[in-house]
Amino acid sequence: MSPEASQPAAAAPAPAADLASLRRSVAPITPATTVQEVADIIQRREYAGLLCLPVVDRGVPLGTVSRNQLTDIFMLRFGRELYGNRPVAEVMSRKPLLVADDLSLEQAAQYVAANIGSPISEDFLITREGRYSGMGVVIDLLGAMQARVAQNAQQLSVAYGQLQSSQAALVQSEKMASLGQMVAGVAHEINTPLGYVRNNVEMVQGVFAQMRELLGEHEKLVHMLTDEAAEEQALSQLLFKLSAETHDLHDSRLLEDTEALFGDTLFGVDTIKDLVINLRNFSRLDAAKVAEVSLNDCLDQTLVIANNVLKNKVEVIKRYGEIPRVACSPSQINQVLLNIMSNAAQAIEHDQGRLLLKTEADGGWVRVSIQDNGKGIAQEHLQKVFDPFFTTKPVGQGTGLGLSISYQIVQAHGGTIQVASVLGKGTRFVISLPLTSQPTMQAPDAARAA
Amino acid sequence: MIPHKPVLLLVDDEERILRSLAMLFRGQYQLHTTTDAREALEIIGRTQVQVIVSDQKMPVMRGADLLREVKERSPNTMRILLTGYSELDAIVASVNEGEIFRYVNKPWDAAELRSTVDQAAQIAATLFAAPAAETAPVTAARAVIAAEMVPLSPSSAEGILVIEDDAEVFRTVQGIVGPSQPVHWARNLDQAFDHLEKYPVGVIVSELVVQGESLTAALKLLKAQYPEVVTIVMTPFQDTGVLISLINQGQIYRLLPKPARPGPLGMNIASALRHHRMLKSSPGLRSRHAVEKIRQPEELSVATRVMGFLGRLRGRAAT
Repeated sequence: MSPEASQPAAAAPAPAADLASLRRSVAPITPATTVQEVADIIQRREYAGLLCLPVVDRGVPLGTVSRNQLTDIFMLRFGRELYGNRPVAEVMSRKPLLVADDLSLEQAAQYVAANIGSPISEDFLITREGRYSGMGVVIDLLGAMQARVAQNAQQLSVAYGQLQSSQAALVQSEKMASLGQMVAGVAHEINTPLGYVRNNVEMVQGVFAQMRELLGEHEKLVHMLTDEAAEEQALSQLLFKLSAETHDLHDSRLLEDTEALFGDTLFGVDTIKDLVINLRNFSRLDAAKVAEVSLNDCLDQTLVIANNVLKNKVEVIKRYGEIPRVACSPSQINQVLLNIMSNAAQAIEHDQGRLLLKTEADGGWVRVSIQDNGKGIAQEHLQKVFDPFFTTKPVGQGTGLGLSISYQIVQAHGGTIQVASVLGKGTRFVISLPLTSQPTMQAPDAARAA
Repeated sequence: MIPHKPVLLLVDDEERILRSLAMLFRGQYQLHTTTDAREALEIIGRTQVQVIVSDQKMPVMRGADLLREVKERSPNTMRILLTGYSELDAIVASVNEGEIFRYVNKPWDAAELRSTVDQAAQIAATLFAAPAAETAPVTAARAVIAAEMVPLSPSSAEGILVIEDDAEVFRTVQGIVGPSQPVHWARNLDQAFDHLEKYPVGVIVSELVVQGESLTAALKLLKAQYPEVVTIVMTPFQDTGVLISLINQGQIYRLLPKPARPGPLGMNIASALRHHRMLKSSPGLRSRHAVEKIRQPEELSVATRVMGFLGRLRGRAAT
């Protein structure tokens, strides 16, 4: 018996999109075909890539017969004589791998992997509505799956890239938000001295005009005194006027009081200067990225910046130890300190606020401890405080990135950051930085951007 | 007889500010200065103070809270907030609770501050000289109830003008006010003019932007022209600069966030109506809400338009 039709098996397409594209149009054999005939058919070129042949009766798939099975039969003593003329239905495998052509590649692969025998000696039948439609080759399925995985991996890598850039944007926006907060705070700090400095200068300007006028009159007097043609009456009038004005001036103590303003004015200008210097030290925009600094100095610089949120609300207690300098990126460490201090100020909702700042060195580490007596962090939140986007603040008030970035910064410095909190009592953050190790400048993007 | 110098009370937690301000006002005022808000209240308690200038950010008490207390204890004392940082809640509190005369930013212009304080002192002098009943303020201690919204007589039913895009707000106001008072709805500036032309309006409840057009200049000019009309601004808008200019140049009566809750909105409308009736019956009181001239150039074109409308109104009144 010959195959129902003979079509050459289609070559497997390289990256198959679906099961249909894996289908090879293989003419099946009927159950009545003899084993000997099957052995001949399977030698034909068009069946070369197949591990088995489909046995189909009027469209209904019945089983498969594999090269392995045929080899086993012919290897038997008198195998050819015993089985050669028997119909293939007697020796075929009755549990063929049947895969409906509307399954996805993944579903097909899953089914085949779960049901295929070992060692692999068969391919699978593709069916449409229960009827034989063609053959699928396991190796093709494997190739298609591999292509699929490669494609997924590429998509994943694109998505990962997008995620990375949007995280970088978020980190940047967090940085801008904290920068904005900081600038607003410092602007307020500057406005107070600026207020009285400006007022004082404007008043001195008025006094100056008054003095210039008075000086003009005195010059006039000198001129009259040296001018022989001057009228005596005019001279005496001017003299009288000037002495009255001088008397008033002394009485009003205008000059003394104005002079007193100079002290305040210079003090105000120096205050502004200090604030600006601090702002610069804090951001370190003009300094080296890495420097040997004392964390005590970092704390003091940050305190000036945070003053706006701490002032009138929180008593700051400093217990600084004698600590060696550490190599770090001061602007990043300051950002961490400011973040923790502003969180502390926000957590304090009563008027007996205290912020305890402690530093110490032990072994190879320098530690900074920042402790507040605010409302504390609930136990279930405590594990999440360093997670990106975790925030308990109302919408719009926190990005949820502050502590996550702080964590990354400290980690990039080879240090650790720890938190302990008791609800209703307060929270303590401890930052430990190693004395020896240089900060790895392969800081994560987040830390670098921050 | 030498007239008494007006009393000026300066409050700031920075002594250098006090010294500087004291120097600015020396000679013309009887000065009291303190860094302590509680002491400021003591001074208010024992002396008639014409003008108080207070910092916002101070220990113990915020400036807005101090000025609220001053309003309760001495409503005729003109209240000025002098602050280095424009915080939204300070602005809202200073309007709604402190009913302040001016919100001045640090650093200030000396000549300008002097003229503001001089003006405030003159107004305070008129207020202190007026019969007590005329200046009786609406204070929290005398909470206003909805029943007070009922007009004294049918003819005194002043309208409430709602300038809004959102019909919901109009309906809410209508629901609060009830049938006793007419409520008008204007969806743009021209409609608002139209209503003002046709009906007596006592209280305006307004957004700051309708149909993409800013109303701030119009609200300011209306206050300048009709000092007895009381404005409640209800907006989600949070630009501190604009809100401050609405205090100084528009003397808005209340600043309410959106969405408005009917309870507080009702209280505020009732209180605004009372305030309007008081302003109407005692012209001397209107000076308390004297406004600054508009300075923003972008608002001047709207100003021209509003002035045109006002001119039309006058023309009609004259014929």
